[in-house]
This record gives sequence, structure tokens and C-alpha cells, in this order.
Amino acid sequence: MLSPLAGQVERYMDLLTARQKLVASNIANADTPGYHTQDIDFQTEFQNAAGGPPRTIEVQGLQVKNDGNDVSLDRESRLLSENAMRFQLASNLLRSEMRILRSAIQEGGKTS
Amino acid sequence: MSLFSVLSIGASGMAAQRIRAEILTQNLANAETTRTPDGGPYRRQDVIFESTPAESPFSSVFNAQMEAAGGVAVSQVVTDSGAPEMRYLPGHPDANSEGYVAFPKINPAEDMVDLMGAARNYQANVAAIGAVKDMIERSMDLFR
Repeated sequence: MLSPLAGQVERYMDLLTARQKLVASNIANADTPGYHTQDIDFQTEFQNAAGGPPRTIEVQGLQVKNDGNDVSLDRESRLLSENAMRFQLASNLLRSEMRILRSAIQEGGKTS
Repeated sequence: MSLFSVLSIGASGMAAQRIRAEILTQNLANAETTRTPDGGPYRRQDVIFESTPAESPFSSVFNAQMEAAGGVAVSQVVTDSGAPEMRYLPGHPDANSEGYVAFPKINPAEDMVDLMGAARNYQANVAAIGAVKDMIERSMDLFR
């Protein structure tokens, strides 16, 4: 019933959730020896029309510390707030889609 | 892959860092302790973290779809087995026949720096929980 855009926004929010989960787990493991930063390839996953659960990848090119851990708290905190803001944007968009639908339902029954 | 399971990841990080802070504080408090129940001076302890699969309070079927490490847990508390620091204090009740007393080999600066690291990491986990909480609230706003 909603526009096709709503389906895209839903997928976008799903991917943001998955990514936020990985960011939280990277932050939790910031002191775990041998842990490698994990992420998803956002562009590829979003264009993957089949949907389904996103694949996790290990981020390359980060500075590895003495204990084999390569979590960068700067990178993770940037992604943390970026994801939250993107999610906020997407949910506002979805909400306005719903508002349009609701007003069509409510106003449709009225006779001028 | 629910947003609620992300909260438990953040909580596991907070719990692990709190245990680390407790152990480090214990080291600082016992920096001059020469008597322990096991005999001998206090020995410095440290924690070892390991990543664990995300534990969700709800069904983990959906989480299993995405194979990824989740939270963190303290896998082991290791005790420093190095030689204690010997100080020459002939009057001390714990002095040996040559007048040396075994003191814990603890560098307070090292433990203080680790303690700051634990506190900062705890804050990072709190920030993660805050961001996820905001996302959950936004999703719930869609119902209104």
C-alpha cells in the first residue's frame, strides 16, 4: 500500500541496524586480544536485491596494536553517530510516507 | 538481528570493563600488601578478554543468520608469577633472615593508565547503548 520507496527505506534501516550491531560489538571488543574490526559492505548489500542477511567482512588497512587488535575507537564512534543519524533520517522519511497514507484514509471519507 | 540484542552487546562491554576496573583497583589497593591468605606478598592480577557470541534475551534464531562475534567477556584472570620486589627493611615483621621483605611488584602508574583505559572504554560502551536506544525510540515513533 505504501510507495515502493518505503520498501527501500525498510531495507536501508535493516542494514543500519546490522551495521550498528557490528559497531557495538567492535566497541565492546576494543580490548580483546586478536580481535579484528568487522563491518558490512553497505553499498553492495543495499544493491543486493535478493535481500537476506548481510555478510560481515573484516575491515582492512587499520592499524594493528601489539596484541593483534585493530579496533579504532575514533572510527567506531564516528560510525556510531553516523548510523544513528541516518536511521533518524530514514525513520522520519518513513513516518512522512505513513502520514500521507493516513491523511488519504481519513480525508477520503469526508464529503467536502 | 534486532536492535535489542545490540543493547546486550553494549552491556557485556560495560560488565567486562567494570571487572577490569575492579581488578586494577584491587592491584592499586594492595600495592604494599606483604601478607595474603596464600602466604607471601600480594601478586598483581590482570584480566584477559575474549569475544563471545551475542546473547540475546529473545530468540537467537534471527541472530544466528549473521555470523559475527558479539559481546565480550572476561575469559581469565591471570596472576603475575614474577619474582617479588625485595626491599631491605630489617625491622619489618615479615623480613627474612637477611632483613629483606618481599613486596608486590606493582607499578601504580601502569595500573592507573590501565584504569583510565577501562573508564574510557566503559564510556564508549555507554555511548553505543545511548545511540542504539535512540534508534529504538525512533522506530517506536513510527507507530504513532
